[in-house]
Amino acid sequence: MKKLILLLILTMGVGAGQFDKVKITPELSYIYVYHKGKAIKVHRIQDTKHKLTGEYAKQYRPGQDIQPIKMHKDIQTIGEVELLHFMKIKGNNKTGVLVDLRPRKAHNRESIPSSVNIPASTKDDKVKLEKILKVFGAKRLDDGSLDTSKVMQVAFYCNGLWCDKAPKFIKTFLELGYPAEKMLYYRGGFQMWKILGFTTVTNL
Amino acid sequence: MKFFYITIFLVSTILANAKVVDIVEGMSYVKIKANGKTYKIKRTQDKDAYLTNTFALTSRPSPPFFIEPFSIHNEVETYGELEVLDFLVEKEGVFIDARLENWYAKSAIPAAVNIPFKLFLTKSKKRDKILKKLGAIRNEEGTWNFTEAKTILLYCNGAWCGQSPTAIKALLTIGYPANKMKYYRGGMQAWQLLGLTTIVPKEKK
Repeated sequence: MKKLILLLILTMGVGAGQFDKVKITPELSYIYVYHKGKAIKVHRIQDTKHKLTGEYAKQYRPGQDIQPIKMHKDIQTIGEVELLHFMKIKGNNKTGVLVDLRPRKAHNRESIPSSVNIPASTKDDKVKLEKILKVFGAKRLDDGSLDTSKVMQVAFYCNGLWCDKAPKFIKTFLELGYPAEKMLYYRGGFQMWKILGFTTVTNL
Repeated sequence: MKFFYITIFLVSTILANAKVVDIVEGMSYVKIKANGKTYKIKRTQDKDAYLTNTFALTSRPSPPFFIEPFSIHNEVETYGELEVLDFLVEKEGVFIDARLENWYAKSAIPAAVNIPFKLFLTKSKKRDKILKKLGAIRNEEGTWNFTEAKTILLYCNGAWCGQSPTAIKALLTIGYPANKMKYYRGGMQAWQLLGLTTIVPKEKK
């Protein structure tokens, strides 16, 4: 009996400690988000010896320019802490949506939980763009103008610091009349998300 | 003869595909003169370059390591790599590696001077000396006048490093103007992930 209690205490201790070892901020260890209807816990890898390997540890990126910290004067660039806040508050109550602009294959393989995939190439497809605007809450009025008074806030990401897909897509959205204050740019992208050991999901 | 054309075709395809890794399109490197030296900063052209050193670690124990917010203060600008390079090229101010000396000694961003963040946290002769070097003038009543102070850009290990934010916050409390401080949040980790040039500082202080 004593042994059992000891074991119980030990496992509890390990269990609780596990969450605390690698936190996000002093106040935050994890959040829950919905991904395809399922609740997903978003936290960080707790193994302090874990190293990023594979595609996202790659340094050689030919033809991929480093992106400026700010893509447009009115578009806010955010980091992980702000993105998590967005996912927790806006994402979870559906007043915001996180958009993965990488190709479908990459998104299906692995993505940030709760993100939906709009491959960057969509920006050249007017019909699809119109549909997306509608889904995001914009209304095309009879005179051809766009009513954006009820649109969702959208956070965009692509591969990372060297990926121009998010800045280009946001520019397209601006040109279409989507309000700047309703868009966020997560410049770190999937690479920074990965190197900080955050939870990912597969969409296969 | 056919073989000859095929070879030409192959060679030209390979040449067309052998893309360089630019910083931005058409700019493959930046030359910077600082601390009496000339540095050439570029990105790795090695096809097999992967980040494998300690900066590939995803999870550091917290405390002390937490993810830093994107912005420290609404008037302290957060910089990315291109803004860091501009700052260096235009000689806009002092580029400070705010990490402890042992970290700095192992590898650093070229053109940085190492001023460990701890030196900014408490009143000391060392701190006063640094502030004076940065252009601050000590008032008679012991406060500081930062009118002539230089613009400073601070970095440390990356998004999970609190050293440069801590230094900036300490400087804010003694009145260093927010618009004269810049924060490179990506730090050593993002810098290396992009394959940008690092140096091993030889002279130890």
